[in-house]
Amino acid sequence: MASDKKYWKSVEELKAHSPLIEKLRNDEFVEEIPIDEFLGNKESLDNSSTTRRDFLKYVGFTTVAASVAACEGPVIKSIPYIVKPEQIVPGVADFYATTMADGYDFASILVKVREGRPIKIEPNKLAGGTTNARVQASVLSLYDNNRLKAPKSYDKTIEWNEVDTQILAKLNELKSLGKEIVFLTGTLASPSTAQLILKFKEKFGNVKHVIYDAVSESGAVEAFETMYGFSALPNYDFSKAATVVSFGADFLGDWQGGGFEADFAKTRVPKEGKMSRHIQFEANLTLTGANADKRILAKPSEQAFALINLYNKLTGNSLPSKKTSVDAEVEKAAKQLKSSGNKAVVICGINDKNLQLITLAINNFLKSEVIDVVAAKNIRQGKETEVNNLLADMNAGKVGALLMYQTNPVYTMPQTANFAELLKKVPMSVSFAMNDHETASVSNFALATPHYLESWGDISVKKGTYSLMQPTINPLFNTNQFQDCLLRWMGSEETYYDYLKKYWESNILAGTSWAQTLHNGFFNQTAKPTTSLKSIDLNLAAQEINKTFISKEFELCFYTKTGMGDGQMANNPWLQEFPDPITRTSWDNYVTISEPDSKKLGLQNFNVSNGALNGSKVNLTVNKTVLKEVPVYIQPGQAVGTIGLALGYGRSKGMKEEMMIGVNAYSLYNNFKNYQEVSIEKVDGIHEFACVQLHHTMMGRDIIKETTLATFNDTTINPSETWNKTTKVSMDHKMVPASSISLWNDHDKTIGHHFNLSIDLNACTGCGSCVIACHAENNVPVVGKAEVRNSRDMHWLRIDRYYSSDMNAKIADEMEIGVLDKFNQMEIPSNNPEVAFQPVMCQHCNNAPCETVCPVAATTHGHQGQNQMTYNRCVGTRYCANNCPYKVRRFNWFKYKENDEFDFHMNDDLGRMVLNPDVVVRSRGVMEKCSMCIQKTQLSILQAKNEGRIVADNEFQTACSSACSSNAIVFGDVNDKTSQVAKLVQDQRAYHLLDAIGTKPNVVYHVKVRNTNES
Amino acid sequence: MASHYEAPIRKPLIIGEKTYHDISVDVAAPVEGKANKLWWIAFSISLTAFLWGVGAIIYTIGTGIGVWGLNKTVGWAWDITNFVWWVGIGHAGTLISAVLLLFRQKWRMGINRSAEAMTIFSVIQAGLFPMIHMGRVWNANWVLPIPNQFGSLWVNFNSPLLWDVFAISTYLSVSLVFWWTGLLPDFAMLRDRAIKPFQKKIYGLLSFGWSGRVKDWNRFEEVSLVLAGLATPLVLSVHTIVSFDFATSVIPGWHTTIFPPYFVAGAIFSGFAMVNTLLIIMRKVSNLEAYITIHHIELMNIVIMITGSIVGVAYITELFIAWYSGVEYEQYAFLNRATGPYWWAYLLMMTCNVFSPQLMWSKRLRTSIMFSFIISIVVNVGMWFERFVIIVTSLHRDYLPSSWVMFSPTFVDIGIFIGTIGFFFLLFLLYARTFPVIAQAEVKTILKSSGENYKKLRDGNDH
Repeated sequence: MASDKKYWKSVEELKAHSPLIEKLRNDEFVEEIPIDEFLGNKESLDNSSTTRRDFLKYVGFTTVAASVAACEGPVIKSIPYIVKPEQIVPGVADFYATTMADGYDFASILVKVREGRPIKIEPNKLAGGTTNARVQASVLSLYDNNRLKAPKSYDKTIEWNEVDTQILAKLNELKSLGKEIVFLTGTLASPSTAQLILKFKEKFGNVKHVIYDAVSESGAVEAFETMYGFSALPNYDFSKAATVVSFGADFLGDWQGGGFEADFAKTRVPKEGKMSRHIQFEANLTLTGANADKRILAKPSEQAFALINLYNKLTGNSLPSKKTSVDAEVEKAAKQLKSSGNKAVVICGINDKNLQLITLAINNFLKSEVIDVVAAKNIRQGKETEVNNLLADMNAGKVGALLMYQTNPVYTMPQTANFAELLKKVPMSVSFAMNDHETASVSNFALATPHYLESWGDISVKKGTYSLMQPTINPLFNTNQFQDCLLRWMGSEETYYDYLKKYWESNILAGTSWAQTLHNGFFNQTAKPTTSLKSIDLNLAAQEINKTFISKEFELCFYTKTGMGDGQMANNPWLQEFPDPITRTSWDNYVTISEPDSKKLGLQNFNVSNGALNGSKVNLTVNKTVLKEVPVYIQPGQAVGTIGLALGYGRSKGMKEEMMIGVNAYSLYNNFKNYQEVSIEKVDGIHEFACVQLHHTMMGRDIIKETTLATFNDTTINPSETWNKTTKVSMDHKMVPASSISLWNDHDKTIGHHFNLSIDLNACTGCGSCVIACHAENNVPVVGKAEVRNSRDMHWLRIDRYYSSDMNAKIADEMEIGVLDKFNQMEIPSNNPEVAFQPVMCQHCNNAPCETVCPVAATTHGHQGQNQMTYNRCVGTRYCANNCPYKVRRFNWFKYKENDEFDFHMNDDLGRMVLNPDVVVRSRGVMEKCSMCIQKTQLSILQAKNEGRIVADNEFQTACSSACSSNAIVFGDVNDKTSQVAKLVQDQRAYHLLDAIGTKPNVVYHVKVRNTNES
Repeated sequence: MASHYEAPIRKPLIIGEKTYHDISVDVAAPVEGKANKLWWIAFSISLTAFLWGVGAIIYTIGTGIGVWGLNKTVGWAWDITNFVWWVGIGHAGTLISAVLLLFRQKWRMGINRSAEAMTIFSVIQAGLFPMIHMGRVWNANWVLPIPNQFGSLWVNFNSPLLWDVFAISTYLSVSLVFWWTGLLPDFAMLRDRAIKPFQKKIYGLLSFGWSGRVKDWNRFEEVSLVLAGLATPLVLSVHTIVSFDFATSVIPGWHTTIFPPYFVAGAIFSGFAMVNTLLIIMRKVSNLEAYITIHHIELMNIVIMITGSIVGVAYITELFIAWYSGVEYEQYAFLNRATGPYWWAYLLMMTCNVFSPQLMWSKRLRTSIMFSFIISIVVNVGMWFERFVIIVTSLHRDYLPSSWVMFSPTFVDIGIFIGTIGFFFLLFLLYARTFPVIAQAEVKTILKSSGENYKKLRDGNDH
């Protein structure tokens, strides 16, 4: 209630124009200030109590006070929500079920969203989802600063409504001219999109949809279609397998879309004395071959005939074939397959329709339970013939418009296809793209599409299995989904969301709630068998094989890297820095060549003074196409007469310069054949590699303990004295286990939680999804190629890979070889080595050597068993790292965030959005290492406490354990005696790494058992 | 305390016809005279090296330890090598001034001042490395047990690195006090001779008002003995503690109980070599050949020979124990040391430290100035490599072969090392021009017993 009362200060104010009031109003000081009086009068000045010194004191004090007040730390603003979104509680993560699909990787996932930002991908275990390294890393691609941020036409940014009018006009024009409108996409496996494209066809008439997989499985798709009448890929349930014989199929890698490791690992852990046997015929040393019980080197041309010979051997038929050098092994494999009955399976990785037909025929003959042709897979649909027809049409000028989505053919087509030139013949080329890649940058329209984490969508990975894709964040940029564009161009008012929902409700859900399905992320039906076996003339197929497969001096085998896949995520620094599981080399692709061949061609690998690896370079010529200056990596286990080269590198557009690395192997990938005849020519120059592991053998040490299934099953022997030997030392003249004595008084570890991490070396395939999961969860910095080369990678979790050597202590004794020669020869891996993987992270020793040596007590022991690192206290002496027997500690040599020298995601605001707010970003000069994801365990404990319950066993997870598809890494509380991990640490296979030192780690490994039983 | 009689068989420690006044004049000459060209050249070179080092250090602190050649496996290399090397060199001074004082070795009087100066200057270099090798040197004070407001944060008394902090700081302070005590009468002498008032004032301050009264001398002698008593255990303790950095670890090649005595012997070895290096030049340049005689050099050569042999025995013992232990990691560590990729460093170490001092058995060689000088340099090269071998070859191939790497220094590593050498010589050159480089007060006490002319006179009278 405003009042207009006025209070009078004096009666004088009542008088109008009172001089006194006027004076008061105008003069601040009513009376004259007697400055002259006290300054002019020297005497009074002298008598004044304010001396010169006092005056200086006051001046001094006020100056200091003012400047101190002006000093302030950097202000970091935290802005509260003005209108708080109802669903978001700061500090509390939300999880959304969605699906990743980029044409190469398909996975049911859970997305962890913090304050509206997706920051971590977890497998959607409810949907049976698994995540590989690329799926784990895909969240970073959302925050890629090189993304296409708005639609472009002829290099100019335009508005979406202009896009619509221009394209629509053109489409209508083409329709009236009767020219072809072609969709060229990667495998979408999206039922609703397929229907949408059908509708588009209805509207625009002459519309074709060509599916093109950059890395093709065309042979297998076509063979399946020939045999079963519909286009798909067979599915495999390896958990049923007793014997797997693979001909160059990297099924633990990306073969036919991958994702088989979880099932396969189930058969690899010996249960009741049984485990599967895995025989691999291959040329490149693949992840799968590295995990095989028996690995046989064979060129692709030999694999082809070995496969026919296997067929002949099994069935008694005599398809035309040739003798191969591995026929003896084929015979053994045939025996093994037969002995396993219908639990046997044969697979083939060579992209050739005829070979795939024979493979299917073998599995048919075996009545294999492993192969599933009913719930067949949809995730590779590209067919060679269709793509070739399109190229011909484009060349003939028949194609009026080419709409490309989830594909980058300018990059992925072989040089002979000359796609960039063909594209110029198309009147309108439209590329729906996430970044301004090779194709988008030469198309008429580059239409910015959202990342899958910003999109709606649906995927049917296999028949009867449907999953939904939902946005987890508002689109960051001015993007439109492919489907939304199509709907608009068809004149529909609907959004794709409406369309999708309607489609699902009428075609898939059959009454089930949309909201519930969206929550779960998937919807399963039982696939109905629609297949009828067609009779095939295998003789014809074999004859074709005899014609196509001619042994060449050098055969080039293409492969995809676990970390890079088909190369569409090449601008992802996590993946670039992810070391290849086999070569342990990051930031590169290269020719892998066998040691004998390298000698023959005069090619070298050598280490420079700081240990970094250098290699020669070669030019590769395939059918007159030359790929220049390809680095050479001498690979143990590479078949003589073959070389390997990874696809997915050598990108050149729309990304950071540092990531435009390697050579583009697609330029040689003619006719979608993953084997090619090649000639190799050494050229001058030395390539600098960035390897994280420079030494490849175990030097006869008990680091990865191994045994055979026969020994493992032998109940007459005591494991702790044979294959899982405990180190013993003399104590009071008695031999006792080294781990039983200690310098320290032990603490009571039975109270509260005590965390252990168990790693089964039998289940671990070395795939490395844990490495990326750890990267994402713990804000591990990326350091770049030069620093990896300086052996300064920051990975908290690494997967050591060891090769066997032809030399060991026993051989040295027998042959009376001197100790120096012995060790020198031990350093050299065998030409076809046995391979073993071992994930190594901080072992969280209960008697930790690092803890005693830190002068400032920055690394200490937690009461839950963790070895904790207090970054704020660390002064960076690196003594702890030196004293760590496992060498798991990583030092911040530089400032890795907000530093132009390290221009990766931590150097821009967008990239930093991926950082986990629960884990501090470390500063320069401090040590860091695995924390056993203490932020996750603490959260579980607090949640349970809030809800007044005991923490459930599977609630405790680390980033690595939850990412591990093969269940090799199990984490939990050993004080909970019912927990899985408590049982695992008691297992007879369990051992501690380097237990002789007495560090008493909280990480436990399980002895690797190889199935060497031949039947 | 000085008796005027000394056996004729003992060699004179002061050559020529020297009087007390001559000694004062000779010792004061470098301080009172003008620097010659040679000094200025040496000074400029040292200053340049020092400034380069300062630049390299600033670059390191400004950018990160990553500018060095270290990596995830080799966390220490040149930094701690240099640290141990300089600490080792710093051992001769205290040994000469304290241990030899207690043993009444009078030959120490000609060399102890410079040896102690060398000690202090090299400990300063050494102290630099534990500081700058930290990733966050601005928090270096956290290694001191200072009550603080970070809660109850305290240092970790289990850490040998913390023991280093105490060992080095104690050693530096005791050495400094000991040195300065001995300097008091000599500063007073310079003060008394000074003509310019400024110099008089400065030396007056530095001599703490020394008056030369009997009471002063009495206390001087007492304090010297007490400090010698205090400093003697330090000779053993400092390098013992430095060796604990390695000996208490779990790394094969470091985890060795022989380290304490082996390190102390090595330290004395390198310290005496450095004293030889410096004094062979200084006696010439500053005309002090009468006081630092061939005899002095020969005696130091004998110490080098003996400690070199001890070090040699230690090397061989290490190899034996590695074999005898039966531990595969130990065995490999030493095999790798001798025959692995760093075999050349091991060979250099063996040649310089074990083989070359054995030449000193020859009287002709150990009394040759040129030869002594060369060996003194060789020994310090060898001792640097000893530390490099221990640190780098143990770390680069430890338990898990997957982490095995190599180490290669960068220009910054090299720059900082050269910088400390520059800094060391810079301090020593300044010292040589402003300090009484010979403990003249002490030397005067033996003039009549060990001076050549007095001995001759006395020997003549006897017959």
